[in-house]
Amino acid sequence: MDCVEKITRSREKLGHRQIPTYKSEAEGGCGVVGLACSTSVAGRHILQSCLQMHNRGNGKGGGIAAVGLLPEQMGVPRAILEEDYLLQVAYLDSSSRKLVEDSFISPYLQVDYAEKIPSLDEYRKVPGLEVRPPDVIRYFVRVDEDVLDRFSKEYSLEELGRHQVEDEFIYQNSFKLNQKFYASLGEKRAFVLSHGKNMMVLKIVGYTEQLIQYYCLGDVEANIWIGHQRYPTKGRVWHPGGAHPFVGLHEALVHNGDFANYVRVTKYLRQRNIHPQFLTDTEVSVLLFDLLSRIYKYPLEYIIEALAPTTERDFYMLPEKKKRIYKAIQLSHMTGSPDGPWFFIIAGNDPYKRQQQLIGITDTSMLRPQVFALQEGDVKIGVIASEKQAIDAVLKSLSDEDDRFLPIADKYWNARGGSHTDGGAFIFTLTDIKEDETEKELRCTDKFGKVVTTIKNPRQVYSKSSLTFEYPVDIVEKKLSTNSFKTPLEMFNRLIDFLYIYQNNDFLDLVDMLRRYSTRGNQEKSFAIEVLTLLMDRRYNIGDKRRSMMLTKIQQELDEIFSSTPRIGSDSNYQFIDWQSRNLLQSPQDPDRTLIINVEDFYPEGPDSASRFIVAAYNLGWKKVIAYGLRGQRFLGCGLGPKSDIRVDLYGSSGDYLGSGLDGAEIYVHGNSQDQVGQIFRRGRLVVYGDVGQTFMYGAKGGEVYVLGNAAGRPLINAVGKPRVVINGTCLDYLAESFMAGDPLGGGGFVILNGIRYNDRGEIVEQETPYPGGNLFSLASGGAIYFRDPYKLVTEDQLNSGKIVQLSFEDCELILPYLRENERLYGISVDRLLTVDGKKKTIDEVYRKVIPIPLKALSMIGQ
Amino acid sequence: MDRANSSNCIGPKCKENSFYCVSLCPYNAIHIEPNSDYMVLGDPIWTPDLLLATWYQAETGESPLSIEYQIGDSGGGFDKLKFKFRKESSDGKEKENIRTSIELNKRSYGARIEISVPWYGAGMSFGSISLNMMLARAKASQAWNTFVSTGEGGYPEELVPYKDHIITQLATGQFGVTEQTIGYARIVEIKYAQGAKPGLGGHLLADKVTPDVAIIRESVPWNSLFSPFPFHSVYSVEDHKKHVDWIRAMSPNPDVLISAKVSSPTDVEMVAVGCYHAGVNIFNVDGSYGGTGAAPDIAKKNIAMPIEYAIQKVHRFLVDEGIRDEITFMASGGIRNAYDIAKAIALGADGVIIGTADLVACGCTRCGNCEAGRGCPHGIATTDHELVELIQPDWGAQRISNLYYSWHNQLVDILWRLGFDDIRDLRGAGLSQKYEEYGGKGLLQSG
Repeated sequence: MDCVEKITRSREKLGHRQIPTYKSEAEGGCGVVGLACSTSVAGRHILQSCLQMHNRGNGKGGGIAAVGLLPEQMGVPRAILEEDYLLQVAYLDSSSRKLVEDSFISPYLQVDYAEKIPSLDEYRKVPGLEVRPPDVIRYFVRVDEDVLDRFSKEYSLEELGRHQVEDEFIYQNSFKLNQKFYASLGEKRAFVLSHGKNMMVLKIVGYTEQLIQYYCLGDVEANIWIGHQRYPTKGRVWHPGGAHPFVGLHEALVHNGDFANYVRVTKYLRQRNIHPQFLTDTEVSVLLFDLLSRIYKYPLEYIIEALAPTTERDFYMLPEKKKRIYKAIQLSHMTGSPDGPWFFIIAGNDPYKRQQQLIGITDTSMLRPQVFALQEGDVKIGVIASEKQAIDAVLKSLSDEDDRFLPIADKYWNARGGSHTDGGAFIFTLTDIKEDETEKELRCTDKFGKVVTTIKNPRQVYSKSSLTFEYPVDIVEKKLSTNSFKTPLEMFNRLIDFLYIYQNNDFLDLVDMLRRYSTRGNQEKSFAIEVLTLLMDRRYNIGDKRRSMMLTKIQQELDEIFSSTPRIGSDSNYQFIDWQSRNLLQSPQDPDRTLIINVEDFYPEGPDSASRFIVAAYNLGWKKVIAYGLRGQRFLGCGLGPKSDIRVDLYGSSGDYLGSGLDGAEIYVHGNSQDQVGQIFRRGRLVVYGDVGQTFMYGAKGGEVYVLGNAAGRPLINAVGKPRVVINGTCLDYLAESFMAGDPLGGGGFVILNGIRYNDRGEIVEQETPYPGGNLFSLASGGAIYFRDPYKLVTEDQLNSGKIVQLSFEDCELILPYLRENERLYGISVDRLLTVDGKKKTIDEVYRKVIPIPLKALSMIGQ
Repeated sequence: MDRANSSNCIGPKCKENSFYCVSLCPYNAIHIEPNSDYMVLGDPIWTPDLLLATWYQAETGESPLSIEYQIGDSGGGFDKLKFKFRKESSDGKEKENIRTSIELNKRSYGARIEISVPWYGAGMSFGSISLNMMLARAKASQAWNTFVSTGEGGYPEELVPYKDHIITQLATGQFGVTEQTIGYARIVEIKYAQGAKPGLGGHLLADKVTPDVAIIRESVPWNSLFSPFPFHSVYSVEDHKKHVDWIRAMSPNPDVLISAKVSSPTDVEMVAVGCYHAGVNIFNVDGSYGGTGAAPDIAKKNIAMPIEYAIQKVHRFLVDEGIRDEITFMASGGIRNAYDIAKAIALGADGVIIGTADLVACGCTRCGNCEAGRGCPHGIATTDHELVELIQPDWGAQRISNLYYSWHNQLVDILWRLGFDDIRDLRGAGLSQKYEEYGGKGLLQSG
């Protein structure tokens, strides 16, 4: 009998009671966030991001987990914190404490320290909290030596490592405790929140931000935090057992999504003597993870493969050796792999390898929103969340207190679920630099172990040695004052010739000078705004400076310029309004004026939302609007109505459904945008100076759209009519599925996919492939995709109902104006796009076209 | 010589009459036998009698005398339920004050919209049915102060004059949905699923995607249109909330009502509560008996939960959660006549949604050939230029209106006989403790 079997056998007695296989809770998605930081971070920072995702929960379940705590805050010496199990028991009925301790703690466990964790004396002091959170007792425990010997002997576990047996004992003891005091009784009296080493979980009925307030976690510090806003749909929840996170042993998991095969996964677990007690998808997920990692001892890569298998074309793209292993994993675990939309964030501690991890895993079909971010400065931090603005909220909160952090990450990206490229999962690993220190080393890797870093190789940055001249800031200022730069673009183009050798301070002086310049008058103001915006939007060589630092500074100066604008109603070209002054909104004196709205305090949705306010301004006659201070406000540009003629410039973190329904207006997004951008887009123009999220332009009917970066999953799905879209990066997958946009040469729609990115020197380079996914233009019946593929990397097996053809003269004529406009907007020159390996080529040599082929299933052919 | 008009024949029981044609015929040339058309008509749900009765009511506005118009022959569902009436029918004046109107919004926010009859028209898209048929339904809805949904094939300009009685539907293909068409509507319906084919999106086969249809949907003519099975932007309840918020953000009407149409999976009551929390005003469960000939046979009647079971489940759950009076709950999928309407309401719905019956009123024979070739030989489910002329909007509107008139009278009669003076009091009154025992305590019994 091998070890796995022995452990499994030892659990036989645990599940004698018939445990239902149905879910007791129904919930859909939720808001999830996780961070891992090389230094310890206080709980109040995760609170900000939970507040940002308030609208992803409904106040019926909030939870957090923290890994890598501070010994002084926990009231124990470091050795105890690291060696002992941190057992947290929630007492729903405080009178059950003695009984619980007498039956499950005192007889088996040696308690080194125990305390009731601090909380407010009165839960009603937390605004909106309706259900009293449980009293939580924290015990630092080890298993009694004799008890462990007996346990080991009873199940012949002697050949296992001592600590593995101890882990198993703790797991089973908690199971029994839950069984007796939670799962098996009609009344639920107590349950184990967590029992891993150096980690803790807390959960309540309420919002996560209320939890942080109630349990006084604002100042509690940890290296890893995960938080969850729950959206259960069964009402009248009065106990927090069903809230996330759930724990295996040394790991906690939060989850956004829903399985279709809960029953099957439960059966899979039951065959291995694992019995869920809380009856939710999330608990099952973490039990699965615990099984694969602690019992089967799979490396993380194989665990991820077992959860989110690599399928279809991605599987065939794997190296032969991996294919063999993955096939074996899939054969053994397919029945246990969760099917449906899900996204996991896992915080784990490996006390024996002395490392802590934050892991984000997306399902194979990428059905849930997910964003990853990395910041590598003096301290390093990785953040994972459902929405980008939740990441920005954490970073802002941190940077407000500690200038080692910046409010903008160095890199934001999405995972491609079940893929051969990144495996759909990223891992932030913290390891000790020195023992007994809270400062740690942070490393980000994908499923395959490939390192993700934003740290530049200095040699690469400086290899361009064509420096001809440098302007110190005072010379630039003089030139600016004497009107030597005719246009903002001209100034920008001169600046970027030498910006890369500017030191941080020079750069700060430069943008500060631009801000001061802006105060001289309306013309100067608009000039300064445009130059700063170009510095923000464009990619260029910045030397060894960090782009996040530059963006932060530019953003600050722009905010300063915006907020020092005269109030609405004054006789100024630019007029300012914010939440406090919103009632002063009035028509512009003439339509040429620009309204600057600080939207920070506006609601993300509803009657008092930023979106509605912009509509109100438009209806009063404003045709130019700048909205700044965005923190995830949704539906911007919605509701402007048919044939709207307004230009909106957005600065900050824009939210979901941006410009969805747009019918005439122009929107410029100075930064990344989020999910569901441009749905049912009909007319008008959208320019995004960054990436776009999931289901971009789903069901679109027209319009002209330019994207500087990448699109996530399912862009332009089900689009019809005549949308014309340029995506300079690439897409995760499912581009233009069921595309029905007529004949592009006869007025129909198309997508131009350039497949490029910028290197550390701000130069354009090709991505590894213009299109990595296995589903391009599937089941399309109209329109076309023009993709830049000089090396012919895209193959027919990525298509389903499409074929690749050569561009005709008419095709080249058709797309050229869009490439020119792309050049004007982003500075991506047509010449550069047509240059391959230093040689200038023609459009039809560099671009290829996918057109639909009539499918029997779709057309009348054969009938 | 006049053509024989067999619909006036009352059959063998005429024998007792002095004018019995068979015995009067001097040449013994007349004999009576069941009409051969009648023999091949219909199916156990829509029996030949129900079809005939619907045609009769559409023609005359009255309840038929000798045709079974209350119940079908399926042996289950509404056909197994009967009311336990307390009073005999009456033609008296006392029925005048009986109210049949229902409120479509019970929330503290949104427009107060009351419809005069406890039903409105289900979504049937341009493409699946003709423009004339859509206009007929719109006109009838206007006449009866109720609504009809556009379906997912866009919003033809010709419907705009009736916009106060038209629901704009947003379905997974998002065909023809723009800020403009959202802006027309007092109610926007999000169609997540259809009871006849849960798990499948709408589909219009190539034959019916004529150039006219392709223009309004902005697609390619003669190419099948398969809408995705889900909304790719909605995979969870918090996505759903965002979706609902989005529609409100797009609409120029701050009081717009949002309806969510779902099929009836086993956990439909959870979906109902999720919809409540997302802020929808109308929750519509579509059961498995509905669907035209276009739904694939493999899906029809085989996937979703029977509607009469789903209604009770949802109603009770909403009551238990304490939110029943904040959401309007509409049932649909196989509601064929006034008795079905009353039963659905007695089981716990606020009202119902009607699809096929409108078509039958205009001459649909339920032949089931809605999707292929030029489509419907009766000019209903087609966009063929010649065939559509078979239905003229005014004629169709009058037929539907007549049917509604007859239903209204029957409903009033049902309420009278049950002892109610308001349809709202009937809601849930037919429930007993357990489904199997519905003969027990409520007003409905199995028969």
